[in-house]
Amino acid sequence: MVFLSLSCWIRSRGPDRYWKIQEIVKNAKHFRGRKNRCYSLAVKAVRRAFVYATKGRRLKKRYMRTLWISRIAAASREHGMKYPVLMHNLTKSSVQLNRRVISDMAITEPRSFLSLAKVARARQQEGFRAALGDGKEPVGVFSRVVLLQ
Amino acid sequence: MSSFSRSAQQWATFARSWFLIDARMQPPGKIATMCAIRLQGKHKPIYHAMSDCGDHIVVMNSKQIAFSGNKWEQKVYSSHTGYPGGFKQLTAAQMHHKDPKAIMKLSVYGMLPKNLHRRTMMQRLHIFPDDELPDDILANLTEELPQPREIPKQLSEFTQEEIDAFPRLWTPPENYKMK
Repeated sequence: MVFLSLSCWIRSRGPDRYWKIQEIVKNAKHFRGRKNRCYSLAVKAVRRAFVYATKGRRLKKRYMRTLWISRIAAASREHGMKYPVLMHNLTKSSVQLNRRVISDMAITEPRSFLSLAKVARARQQEGFRAALGDGKEPVGVFSRVVLLQ
Repeated sequence: MSSFSRSAQQWATFARSWFLIDARMQPPGKIATMCAIRLQGKHKPIYHAMSDCGDHIVVMNSKQIAFSGNKWEQKVYSSHTGYPGGFKQLTAAQMHHKDPKAIMKLSVYGMLPKNLHRRTMMQRLHIFPDDELPDDILANLTEELPQPREIPKQLSEFTQEEIDAFPRLWTPPENYKMK
Protein backbone atom coordinates (compact mmCIF):
# COMPACT_ATOMS: atom_id res chain seq x y z
CA MET A 1 0.00 0.00 0.00
CA VAL A 2 1.23 3.40 -0.99
CA PHE A 3 -1.03 5.66 1.11
CA LEU A 4 0.99 6.09 4.25
CA SER A 5 -0.85 9.06 5.87
CA LEU A 6 -4.49 10.26 6.29
CA SER A 7 -4.19 13.15 3.89
CA CYS A 8 -3.20 10.77 1.07
CA TRP A 9 -6.24 8.55 1.69
CA ILE A 10 -8.67 11.19 0.42
CA ARG A 11 -9.73 10.42 -3.17
CA SER A 12 -11.42 12.71 -5.61
CA ARG A 13 -14.19 10.56 -7.07
CA GLY A 14 -15.29 12.88 -9.80
CA PRO A 15 -15.15 16.58 -9.17
CA ASP A 16 -18.17 17.55 -11.24
CA ARG A 17 -21.09 15.57 -9.78
CA TYR A 18 -22.96 18.78 -8.94
CA TRP A 19 -22.83 20.06 -12.50
CA LYS A 20 -23.79 16.72 -14.00
CA ILE A 21 -26.89 16.64 -11.80
CA GLN A 22 -27.70 20.28 -12.50
CA GLU A 23 -27.53 19.67 -16.25
CA ILE A 24 -30.56 17.41 -15.89
CA VAL A 25 -32.40 19.01 -12.99
CA LYS A 26 -32.31 22.52 -14.47
CA ASN A 27 -34.64 21.27 -17.20
CA ALA A 28 -37.13 20.17 -14.52
CA LYS A 29 -37.29 23.32 -12.44
CA HIS A 30 -40.85 24.13 -13.52
CA PHE A 31 -42.24 20.66 -12.72
CA ARG A 32 -44.57 19.78 -9.87
CA GLY A 33 -43.57 17.91 -6.74
CA ARG A 34 -40.24 16.26 -5.92
CA LYS A 35 -39.34 15.70 -9.53
CA ASN A 36 -38.16 19.30 -9.76
CA ARG A 37 -35.48 18.67 -7.09
CA CYS A 38 -34.54 15.02 -6.70
CA TYR A 39 -32.25 13.59 -9.36
CA SER A 40 -33.63 10.05 -9.72
CA LEU A 41 -37.20 11.31 -10.13
CA ALA A 42 -36.15 14.23 -12.30
CA VAL A 43 -34.22 12.02 -14.73
CA LYS A 44 -37.35 10.05 -15.65
CA ALA A 45 -39.52 13.16 -15.88
CA VAL A 46 -36.99 15.03 -18.02
CA ARG A 47 -36.58 12.13 -20.42
CA ARG A 48 -40.36 11.95 -20.85
CA ALA A 49 -40.56 15.69 -21.35
CA PHE A 50 -37.88 15.59 -24.06
CA VAL A 51 -39.71 12.76 -25.85
CA TYR A 52 -42.93 14.77 -25.82
CA ALA A 53 -41.04 17.83 -27.09
CA THR A 54 -39.64 15.83 -30.02
CA LYS A 55 -43.08 14.55 -30.97
CA GLY A 56 -44.53 18.02 -30.48
CA ARG A 57 -42.10 19.63 -32.91
CA ARG A 58 -43.61 17.52 -35.70
CA LEU A 59 -47.19 18.16 -34.55
CA LYS A 60 -46.60 21.91 -34.31
CA LYS A 61 -46.03 22.08 -38.05
CA ARG A 62 -49.41 20.41 -38.63
CA TYR A 63 -51.27 22.59 -36.12
CA MET A 64 -49.81 25.79 -37.55
CA ARG A 65 -50.84 24.79 -41.06
CA THR A 66 -54.44 24.06 -40.01
CA LEU A 67 -54.53 27.40 -38.17
CA TRP A 68 -53.30 29.26 -41.26
CA ILE A 69 -55.87 27.45 -43.41
CA SER A 70 -58.79 28.29 -41.09
CA ARG A 71 -57.67 31.94 -40.94
CA ILE A 72 -57.41 32.18 -44.72
CA ALA A 73 -60.83 30.51 -45.03
CA ALA A 74 -62.39 33.04 -42.64
CA ALA A 75 -60.82 35.99 -44.47
CA SER A 76 -61.82 34.70 -47.91
CA ARG A 77 -65.40 34.14 -46.75
CA GLU A 78 -65.47 37.79 -45.71
CA HIS A 79 -64.83 38.57 -49.39
CA GLY A 80 -67.43 36.08 -50.66
CA MET A 81 -65.09 33.26 -51.70
CA LYS A 82 -64.32 29.85 -50.23
CA TYR A 83 -60.86 28.62 -49.25
CA PRO A 84 -60.47 25.80 -51.83
CA VAL A 85 -61.58 28.09 -54.66
CA LEU A 86 -59.15 30.79 -53.57
CA MET A 87 -56.11 28.51 -53.25
CA HIS A 88 -56.80 26.58 -56.46
CA ASN A 89 -57.16 29.75 -58.50
CA LEU A 90 -54.07 31.31 -56.92
CA THR A 91 -51.98 28.26 -57.84
CA LYS A 92 -53.42 28.34 -61.35
CA SER A 93 -52.40 32.01 -61.62
CA SER A 94 -48.87 30.95 -60.50
CA VAL A 95 -49.04 32.94 -57.24
CA GLN A 96 -46.61 30.91 -55.15
CA LEU A 97 -47.31 32.45 -51.74
CA ASN A 98 -47.54 29.89 -48.98
CA ARG A 99 -50.34 29.68 -46.44
CA ARG A 100 -48.30 31.30 -43.68
CA VAL A 101 -47.71 34.45 -45.72
CA ILE A 102 -51.28 34.64 -46.97
CA SER A 103 -52.72 34.29 -43.45
CA ASP A 104 -50.38 37.01 -42.14
CA MET A 105 -51.45 39.21 -45.04
CA ALA A 106 -55.10 38.59 -44.22
CA ILE A 107 -54.49 39.90 -40.70
CA THR A 108 -52.06 42.77 -41.16
CA GLU A 109 -52.57 43.76 -44.83
CA PRO A 110 -56.27 43.35 -45.61
CA ARG A 111 -56.18 45.31 -48.84
CA SER A 112 -53.43 43.15 -50.32
CA PHE A 113 -55.47 40.10 -49.37
CA LEU A 114 -58.48 41.65 -51.10
CA SER A 115 -56.41 42.09 -54.26
CA LEU A 116 -55.37 38.41 -54.07
CA ALA A 117 -59.03 37.43 -53.75
CA LYS A 118 -59.84 39.53 -56.82
CA VAL A 119 -57.05 37.84 -58.81
CA ALA A 120 -58.44 34.44 -57.85
CA ARG A 121 -61.97 35.50 -58.77
CA ALA A 122 -60.82 36.79 -62.18
CA ARG A 123 -58.95 33.55 -62.87
CA GLN A 124 -62.06 31.57 -61.86
CA GLN A 125 -64.21 33.54 -64.31
CA GLU A 126 -61.64 32.95 -67.07
CA GLY A 127 -61.73 29.25 -66.30
CA PHE A 128 -65.53 29.21 -66.55
CA ARG A 129 -65.40 31.11 -69.86
CA ALA A 130 -62.82 28.70 -71.26
CA ALA A 131 -64.85 25.66 -70.17
CA LEU A 132 -68.30 26.87 -71.18
CA GLY A 133 -67.39 29.07 -74.13
CA ASP A 134 -66.72 28.11 -77.74
CA GLY A 135 -62.94 28.13 -77.57
CA LYS A 136 -62.79 30.85 -80.21
CA GLU A 137 -62.38 33.59 -77.58
CA PRO A 138 -58.83 34.39 -76.49
CA VAL A 139 -57.69 32.99 -73.15
CA GLY A 140 -57.77 35.58 -70.38
CA VAL A 141 -54.90 37.55 -68.88
CA PHE A 142 -54.42 35.46 -65.74
CA SER A 143 -54.55 32.13 -67.56
CA ARG A 144 -51.37 32.88 -69.43
CA VAL A 145 -48.84 31.34 -67.02
CA VAL A 146 -45.40 32.89 -67.42
CA LEU A 147 -42.50 30.47 -66.94
CA LEU A 148 -39.44 32.41 -65.78
CA GLN A 149 -36.28 30.79 -67.09
CA MET B 1 -57.20 53.38 -39.82
CA SER B 2 -53.86 55.18 -39.68
CA SER B 3 -55.28 57.83 -37.36
CA PHE B 4 -56.10 55.23 -34.64
CA SER B 5 -53.51 54.47 -31.98
CA ARG B 6 -52.21 50.91 -31.79
CA SER B 7 -54.06 50.17 -28.58
CA ALA B 8 -57.34 51.52 -29.97
CA GLN B 9 -56.92 49.48 -33.14
CA GLN B 10 -56.26 46.30 -31.13
CA TRP B 11 -59.26 46.98 -28.90
CA ALA B 12 -61.47 47.39 -31.98
CA THR B 13 -60.09 44.23 -33.63
CA PHE B 14 -60.69 41.99 -30.61
CA ALA B 15 -64.05 43.51 -29.62
CA ARG B 16 -67.03 41.19 -29.34
CA SER B 17 -69.91 42.00 -31.72
CA TRP B 18 -73.55 41.07 -31.31
CA PHE B 19 -75.28 39.40 -34.29
CA LEU B 20 -79.03 39.00 -34.80
CA ILE B 21 -80.60 36.09 -36.73
CA ASP B 22 -84.30 35.76 -37.49
CA ALA B 23 -85.15 32.03 -37.43
CA ARG B 24 -88.62 32.45 -38.91
CA MET B 25 -89.35 29.57 -41.38
CA GLN B 26 -85.68 28.51 -41.32
CA PRO B 27 -84.26 25.01 -40.79
CA PRO B 28 -82.71 24.96 -37.29
CA GLY B 29 -79.61 23.11 -38.51
CA LYS B 30 -78.63 25.84 -40.95
CA ILE B 31 -79.16 28.53 -38.30
CA ALA B 32 -77.12 26.43 -35.88
CA THR B 33 -74.11 26.17 -38.25
CA MET B 34 -74.07 29.95 -38.68
CA CYS B 35 -74.30 30.39 -34.90
CA ALA B 36 -71.58 27.84 -34.17
CA ILE B 37 -69.11 29.43 -36.60
CA ARG B 38 -69.59 32.87 -35.08
CA LEU B 39 -69.63 31.71 -31.46
CA GLN B 40 -66.20 30.11 -31.95
CA GLY B 41 -64.84 33.13 -33.82
CA LYS B 42 -64.03 31.13 -36.95
CA HIS B 43 -65.38 33.94 -39.14
CA LYS B 44 -62.46 36.18 -38.12
CA PRO B 45 -58.97 36.06 -39.66
CA ILE B 46 -57.56 36.54 -36.13
CA TYR B 47 -59.09 33.25 -34.96
CA HIS B 48 -57.27 31.16 -32.36
CA ALA B 49 -58.87 28.55 -30.11
CA MET B 50 -57.27 30.09 -27.03
CA SER B 51 -57.99 33.74 -27.84
CA ASP B 52 -61.67 33.76 -26.80
CA CYS B 53 -62.63 35.64 -29.96
CA GLY B 54 -66.25 34.49 -30.25
CA ASP B 55 -69.16 36.86 -30.66
CA HIS B 56 -72.65 37.03 -29.17
CA ILE B 57 -75.56 35.73 -31.24
CA VAL B 58 -79.23 36.54 -30.65
CA VAL B 59 -81.70 34.17 -32.31
CA MET B 60 -85.29 35.41 -32.46
CA ASN B 61 -88.52 33.71 -33.51
CA SER B 62 -87.18 30.30 -32.52
CA LYS B 63 -90.81 29.23 -32.03
CA GLN B 64 -91.26 29.44 -35.82
CA ILE B 65 -88.40 27.25 -37.01
CA ALA B 66 -89.25 24.87 -39.84
CA PHE B 67 -87.81 21.38 -40.12
CA SER B 68 -87.79 19.91 -43.62
CA GLY B 69 -89.29 16.52 -44.37
CA ASN B 70 -91.04 14.57 -41.62
CA LYS B 71 -88.54 15.50 -38.93
CA TRP B 72 -91.17 16.94 -36.60
CA GLU B 73 -92.51 13.40 -36.12
CA GLN B 74 -89.40 11.35 -36.87
CA LYS B 75 -86.53 13.18 -35.15
CA VAL B 76 -86.11 11.89 -31.61
CA TYR B 77 -84.30 13.67 -28.78
CA SER B 78 -83.18 11.12 -26.18
CA SER B 79 -81.89 11.60 -22.68
CA HIS B 80 -81.43 9.57 -19.51
CA THR B 81 -82.03 10.90 -16.02
CA GLY B 82 -79.45 8.52 -14.52
CA TYR B 83 -82.03 6.60 -12.53
CA PRO B 84 -83.19 3.13 -13.64
CA GLY B 85 -86.07 3.31 -16.05
CA GLY B 86 -85.27 6.95 -16.73
CA PHE B 87 -84.67 6.74 -20.47
CA LYS B 88 -86.73 9.55 -22.00
CA GLN B 89 -87.41 9.96 -25.71
CA LEU B 90 -89.21 12.96 -27.12
CA THR B 91 -90.09 13.67 -30.74
CA ALA B 92 -89.14 17.07 -32.07
CA ALA B 93 -92.78 18.19 -32.01
CA GLN B 94 -93.20 17.27 -28.32
CA MET B 95 -89.86 18.90 -27.43
CA HIS B 96 -90.84 22.11 -29.25
CA HIS B 97 -94.22 22.18 -27.52
CA LYS B 98 -92.57 21.74 -24.12
CA ASP B 99 -89.88 24.38 -24.70
CA PRO B 100 -89.66 26.38 -27.97
CA LYS B 101 -86.00 27.30 -27.33
CA ALA B 102 -84.74 23.76 -26.73
CA ILE B 103 -84.36 22.53 -30.32
CA MET B 104 -82.26 25.53 -31.32
CA LYS B 105 -80.14 25.23 -28.16
CA LEU B 106 -79.48 21.51 -28.61
CA SER B 107 -78.55 21.86 -32.28
CA VAL B 108 -76.01 24.61 -31.55
CA TYR B 109 -74.67 22.67 -28.52
CA GLY B 110 -74.02 19.64 -30.73
CA MET B 111 -72.19 21.70 -33.35
CA LEU B 112 -69.74 23.39 -31.01
CA PRO B 113 -66.36 21.74 -30.28
CA LYS B 114 -66.62 19.27 -27.43
CA ASN B 115 -64.32 21.00 -24.96
CA LEU B 116 -64.59 23.22 -21.90
CA HIS B 117 -65.07 26.35 -24.03
CA ARG B 118 -68.45 25.01 -25.16
CA ARG B 119 -70.29 26.13 -22.02
CA THR B 120 -68.91 29.67 -22.28
CA MET B 121 -69.90 29.82 -25.92
CA MET B 122 -73.43 28.68 -25.07
CA GLN B 123 -73.63 31.48 -22.51
CA ARG B 124 -73.04 33.90 -25.40
CA LEU B 125 -75.94 32.47 -27.41
CA HIS B 126 -79.28 34.16 -26.64
CA ILE B 127 -82.46 32.51 -27.98
CA PHE B 128 -85.88 34.13 -27.88
CA PRO B 129 -89.08 32.35 -28.98
CA ASP B 130 -90.74 35.61 -30.19
CA ASP B 131 -89.37 38.76 -31.75
CA GLU B 132 -89.62 40.71 -28.48
CA LEU B 133 -86.08 41.37 -27.33
CA PRO B 134 -85.12 43.02 -24.03
CA ASP B 135 -83.85 46.59 -24.28
CA ASP B 136 -80.30 45.90 -23.11
CA ILE B 137 -79.83 43.26 -25.83
CA LEU B 138 -81.44 45.50 -28.46
CA ALA B 139 -78.98 48.22 -27.55
CA ASN B 140 -75.99 45.88 -28.08
CA LEU B 141 -76.90 44.50 -31.51
CA THR B 142 -74.50 45.43 -34.31
CA GLU B 143 -75.43 43.40 -37.38
CA GLU B 144 -78.26 41.27 -38.71
CA LEU B 145 -77.25 38.16 -40.66
CA PRO B 146 -79.17 37.17 -43.82
CA GLN B 147 -81.41 34.15 -43.55
CA PRO B 148 -79.97 30.92 -45.03
CA ARG B 149 -83.22 29.76 -46.63
CA GLU B 150 -85.42 31.75 -49.00
CA ILE B 151 -88.97 31.65 -47.62
CA PRO B 152 -91.26 30.48 -50.48
CA LYS B 153 -94.28 32.67 -51.12
CA GLN B 154 -97.61 31.30 -49.91
CA LEU B 155 -100.61 31.12 -52.23
CA SER B 156 -102.53 33.60 -50.05
CA GLU B 157 -99.71 36.17 -50.53
CA PHE B 158 -100.08 36.25 -54.33
CA THR B 159 -102.28 39.04 -55.72
CA GLN B 160 -105.18 38.10 -58.02
CA GLU B 161 -103.42 39.72 -60.99
CA GLU B 162 -100.30 37.58 -60.46
CA ILE B 163 -102.47 34.46 -60.23
CA ASP B 164 -104.25 35.37 -63.48
CA ALA B 165 -100.98 36.25 -65.22
CA PHE B 166 -99.45 32.88 -64.30
CA PRO B 167 -99.25 30.58 -67.39
CA ARG B 168 -101.75 27.71 -67.43
CA LEU B 169 -100.99 24.24 -68.81
CA TRP B 170 -104.62 23.49 -69.79
CA THR B 171 -108.06 25.01 -69.25
CA PRO B 172 -110.71 22.61 -67.90
CA PRO B 173 -113.95 22.28 -69.94
CA GLU B 174 -117.10 23.95 -68.57
CA ASN B 175 -118.78 20.87 -67.07
CA TYR B 176 -115.54 19.57 -65.45
CA LYS B 177 -116.04 18.86 -61.76
CA MET B 178 -113.02 19.93 -59.65
CA LYS B 179 -112.88 18.65 -56.08
